[in-house]
Amino acid sequence: MRIVVVTSGKGGVGKTTTSAAFASGLALRGFKTAVIDFDVGLRNLDLIMGCERRVVYDFVNVIQGDAKLTQALIKDKHADTLYILPASQTKDKEALTEEGVEKVMRELEAMGFDYVVCDSPAGIERGALMALLFADEAVVVTNPEVSSVRDSDRILGILQSKSRRAIEGREPVKEHLLVTRYSAKRVEEGEMLSYKDIQELLRVPLIGVIPESEAVLHASNQGVPAIHLKGTDVAEAYADVVSRFLGEDKPLRFVSYEKPSLIKRLFGST
Amino acid sequence: MSEEVRFESGRFEGIVVRSPLVSPARLADVLHKRFAGTESYFSGEPAVLDFSEVRDWPEQVDWSGLVAFFRRLGLQPIGVRGVPESFDAALKRLHLAILDEAALRLAATRPAEPEPAPAPTPPSQAPASPRPCAPTTFIDRPVRAGQQIYAPEGDVVLMAGSNPGAEIIAAGSIHCWGPLRGRVLAGANGNLQARILATHFGPELVSIAGVYQTFENGLPSPIANRPVQVKLQAIQGQSHLLIEPIDTI
Repeated sequence: MRIVVVTSGKGGVGKTTTSAAFASGLALRGFKTAVIDFDVGLRNLDLIMGCERRVVYDFVNVIQGDAKLTQALIKDKHADTLYILPASQTKDKEALTEEGVEKVMRELEAMGFDYVVCDSPAGIERGALMALLFADEAVVVTNPEVSSVRDSDRILGILQSKSRRAIEGREPVKEHLLVTRYSAKRVEEGEMLSYKDIQELLRVPLIGVIPESEAVLHASNQGVPAIHLKGTDVAEAYADVVSRFLGEDKPLRFVSYEKPSLIKRLFGST
Repeated sequence: MSEEVRFESGRFEGIVVRSPLVSPARLADVLHKRFAGTESYFSGEPAVLDFSEVRDWPEQVDWSGLVAFFRRLGLQPIGVRGVPESFDAALKRLHLAILDEAALRLAATRPAEPEPAPAPTPPSQAPASPRPCAPTTFIDRPVRAGQQIYAPEGDVVLMAGSNPGAEIIAAGSIHCWGPLRGRVLAGANGNLQARILATHFGPELVSIAGVYQTFENGLPSPIANRPVQVKLQAIQGQSHLLIEPIDTI
């Protein structure tokens, strides 16, 4: 079993959207996948996954022994091999204990899960530390702006010092950089950092670039992970991310901006 | 005759005064019997005042009184050991060196102080004289925002550069392969010979032996993101930072 943390430091950059799409993508490839919401107190993942009405028990209930893991795991509607472990809305972050999280990870492994995706809360406090503690790999979500890049750098430093792999001196957590909310047009116009700038700053291998899109908003409002929005660039970009994560070679898409041609401008896009 | 001034590390003999008392009056009482009122019992030896045995620290300590007291005995107090951090400022005002792990504290906070050029520490005050072969610290991964590399001895070599928000502190020089960003402090214990060398120069702050410079308005183009060295230069008795591009072949 591989544990993947989706983290960023900064809030609102697309961690939960990415966790939902990425976990769904792994499940669509046939891997038995669990996605866990570590944002105790601010439950969001269940909304994005469209299962908020089916939450009975949550992560904290399992940690505190009030429910069994099998009772709390919610089976996804879109992908057969995907399960969601929602966060508690009523408890606070102190409810997440190291032993408790470790126990849940062990049980998931015993249940035959291939991947566990940990949706980290923003910040560098307990919830975020617990989300990255057991990680084997990390997807660091960054927006093309300096404060987001700085926070991602900070969280990369924490991964290098506070993860179990770091503490025990094992092989370091494998890092992936994911740039989200990317507008090739605004990069072209010099209003945004380019993905190359970001990569140069963070020096972490790039796993993908997700374009800024209205579709993401629609997807979260409908409770459908963005990867299921057939025909949208966001869905394709996330599918590429999953492919690259699994070791396939995919060229970057949606990163260049072409000015609309005269004909297009005159007759609208065809 | 050569007029070259050299700063070398060295050891020297002195007196260590271990005192469980910090009140000059109490000390005078206790030592009065011992020295039987003889003024200048010692003959000007440098002394380190060790207060590790003090149990209850008062809120206020009459440091100048203490120094005066030991002077009267004929000692020259040059530094202290085992004193709580809260007295750092008071000790600094009296130019007393802090000679335990706390020296680290002092070195780390020095650049934040507004004085542009703290007086170079005389060799006799050097907190811990570096051993003949100080170890070099190699850092193979990028130093990231919020991370601090501290080398109390020797040089630091960054093999993958540092990022904005990182802090690199070395007693010796700092060498950087790759982008150098963040706060970079060489010669943290007062080594005036320390330098900062980088292939892609772009820090927020550089400091050598406490002489620092920030780059609030960005770096001038001849040095920005280019091979650069930073060293100290004495101009009319004042230390200045010299930041210059390195000509590479």
